[in-house]
Amino acid sequence: MTDYTDRLRAAARRLLGEGRVDCFIGYRRGSLPLAAQPAILTRAEQADSLIWDPSCGMNLAHYAVGRADRIGIVATGCVSRSLVALALENQVARERLYIVGVPCTGMLDAGALRRRFPGREAAAAAYEGPRVTIAFADGNEELAVAENLARPCRTCAHPNPVVADEMLGEPVASPAVPAVPEEAAAAEARSAAERWAYFCEAFAHCIRCYACRNACPLCYCPTCFVDESRPQWVGKSSDPTDTRTFHFLRALHLAGRCTDCGACERACPLDIPVRHLTSRLNAEAKAIYGFEAGLDLEERPLLDRYRPEDLNDFFK
Amino acid sequence: MAGPGEGRGEGRMSEWEPRIVTILCNWCTYGAADLAGVNRLQGPTNFKVIRVPCSGRVSPKMILAAFRSGADGVWVSGCHPGDCHYISGNFYARRRFTMMRALFRHIGLDDDRLHFSWISAAEGPKFAATAREVIAAVRRAGPAREWGKTRAQVV
Amino acid sequence: MRTRYYERDAFPPAVAELRRAYRVFVPVRRGDFHAFAEWDDSVRPDFDYRKTRVPPKGLVFPQSERLLVFSTDERDPEHDILREAPKDFPPQAVVGIRPYDAMAFRVLEVNFDTPEVRDPWWLRRREATTLIGLARADEDATMFRTENYAGPFDERGLDVIVYDLGRGYLAKALGEKGEAALAAMGGDEPAADALREVEERIARAATPELPAGRLRAQPAAPELPTGRLRAQPVVPLFEAEFWDEVAAPCLNCGVCTFLCPTCWCFDIQDEVRKQEGDRIRNWDSCMFPLYTLHASGHNPRGKKTQRVRNRFMHKLKYYLDKYDRGVMCVGCGRCVEACPVNIDIREVAARLNGFGEQVERHDR
Repeated sequence: MTDYTDRLRAAARRLLGEGRVDCFIGYRRGSLPLAAQPAILTRAEQADSLIWDPSCGMNLAHYAVGRADRIGIVATGCVSRSLVALALENQVARERLYIVGVPCTGMLDAGALRRRFPGREAAAAAYEGPRVTIAFADGNEELAVAENLARPCRTCAHPNPVVADEMLGEPVASPAVPAVPEEAAAAEARSAAERWAYFCEAFAHCIRCYACRNACPLCYCPTCFVDESRPQWVGKSSDPTDTRTFHFLRALHLAGRCTDCGACERACPLDIPVRHLTSRLNAEAKAIYGFEAGLDLEERPLLDRYRPEDLNDFFK
Repeated sequence: MAGPGEGRGEGRMSEWEPRIVTILCNWCTYGAADLAGVNRLQGPTNFKVIRVPCSGRVSPKMILAAFRSGADGVWVSGCHPGDCHYISGNFYARRRFTMMRALFRHIGLDDDRLHFSWISAAEGPKFAATAREVIAAVRRAGPAREWGKTRAQVV
Repeated sequence: MRTRYYERDAFPPAVAELRRAYRVFVPVRRGDFHAFAEWDDSVRPDFDYRKTRVPPKGLVFPQSERLLVFSTDERDPEHDILREAPKDFPPQAVVGIRPYDAMAFRVLEVNFDTPEVRDPWWLRRREATTLIGLARADEDATMFRTENYAGPFDERGLDVIVYDLGRGYLAKALGEKGEAALAAMGGDEPAADALREVEERIARAATPELPAGRLRAQPAAPELPTGRLRAQPVVPLFEAEFWDEVAAPCLNCGVCTFLCPTCWCFDIQDEVRKQEGDRIRNWDSCMFPLYTLHASGHNPRGKKTQRVRNRFMHKLKYYLDKYDRGVMCVGCGRCVEACPVNIDIREVAARLNGFGEQVERHDR
């Protein structure tokens, strides 16, 4: 991982220095241990503030949307897929992107670490290859990153960038991917009434901060449906029906577009399993249409095309 | 918490009649409904009909809004694949409905509450038959209490 | 001033006594986090908690509240006349609230209880609320001190302060409400050694000694740097160049504002169903573009940087200048902890406070 930091800094320094790009989007060290902060650099001498480690989880593609300049960006598999999806929807221009690809071995899940060390507060973290050492007030703990991955990383089918202008390392193998994500599989085993009860409970404590929506690089509508007032599709109070309606519609708007980066779940301040719905839709898209979003710059999004022989069995 | 399935059977209660929001394409099923009416094929008054220019116009938020406003069932109907007035609107709609239906089933919506059909303007009898089928299904499912918002649950 | 002592195991039953006269809200574990919930038979209080994820602000200023009701039925002679939504404001006790969250109500009150405007819903809930605070020196690394939070034994916002002494709890009433609550809780007079121990703990906390290694990745000061803010002229701060850099990573979500115990902004919405209408007040967030959107379509804070700037300027400068009650922050650190992109108010305060000085800033 340190390797990548050095190579990443060199790449950013070169691209900004040679005027290949006007800005470079990466991560810098955050103020908290286990946190990395997205950063948009504009000068070559800022390159040394870049880092690359398993805390770099927030999807950077978000920051490429709406920019008119030439963008350098460091991208893992999921970030590159988001960029492809955004390019297909004309939100970024491929020719103005310079993608520095990193083969990704997965990002840490802060929630998993909280659960693993309840009541203990990380003071610092150091990464060395596949291991992370976390300093607590009462001593250090050394862990394998691979055993504490964020949920989407555990089943990532595309850890390597699907498109890149240069690569910082050799491709890595993807973890064994179950056909249906584990949470969805567990949900599937329940009855319809039990699933409904599960979702009611799961969303009951949502505070409607919209972090899930805003963290998603594919959520870029100038006016979100929750903010529409004529007609008003969703109420703005903490009424449970309205809260659930928001989550269901948010997920549906990502049908055939979600690249399963998990930014929504990562951003949620209350650990609500918001990704459950989108990953379920991803599994359906793959099972029904053999489609995965953001893999191919030439392939229109799932809902932007059709085949006459598409599934028709539930139409009367 | 009561699941959506728990409404089943309540349809046998004497007063309750299912309320069904029906979203029909102007160029086909809406005409079929008309034809069914002219031929006196249809009696039930459970439907609130919304006419749209094409099934491709139908967004998931309309369907959620219908349930949120108290519908017990929703039925969307358009032109047969290949017969779209706008060439391909219903082909796009079909994919959208497929994904929508998959998600709604996953979160626990009873299959009996959400219906899709292709009915051309000439198919009055099919419209009447499908209408009866939809009503029977929604009746089986019972009142959809959990999906409707009666009044904001706030302090 | 009434003081009482409870052995560790005797404390929850003493709190339970309050349920005869109050709705009692206690910290409960919910997943990875804690939250305040009404103590009924379905929940178990956990007084060993450190911080709730969502502040207890909502117990006085709910996220959504029905204020007024109306009818649109023209046969009703009173149609379209707004009436107050009928509801009770029964006495409620918030047991285990931490001093920073209690102080937050004092920060908030300048918005709801002013000489010109007295918000009836706020006033009645506030009046019905007794804050029974839990004092224990267990601040985490995201917390810091401000004029409105002097540390874990700050009793200014509380009606009763309860010191956690490990083996037991010592409770001290801080006013009439507190006297009444403590009388209802029963308990024994504390022994001299318990009182002495409280004094010692308070003295120790005055000069906080942080565990080794804790602040390695932190700014060094547990005090929010705000000393020079009052003297800073507002316009140059507003026009400062650093705002774009501060705002760059921001997602414009509402995490920081909704988890903030001192953010008070709200929006009012009418919801009409058939012919019954509700006027509902909902928390709003200055991070949302809709917050400032005019009916004309114009948005005076249409850009992300403008919204981020407003949030920090309101907290750290406008509030300070307007009310002269310190900054609008009680140092709970929730926004620091939960921000998806790690925007840290301590760093922003340092920039504002140091503005104009030739301070060399290097990237962290």
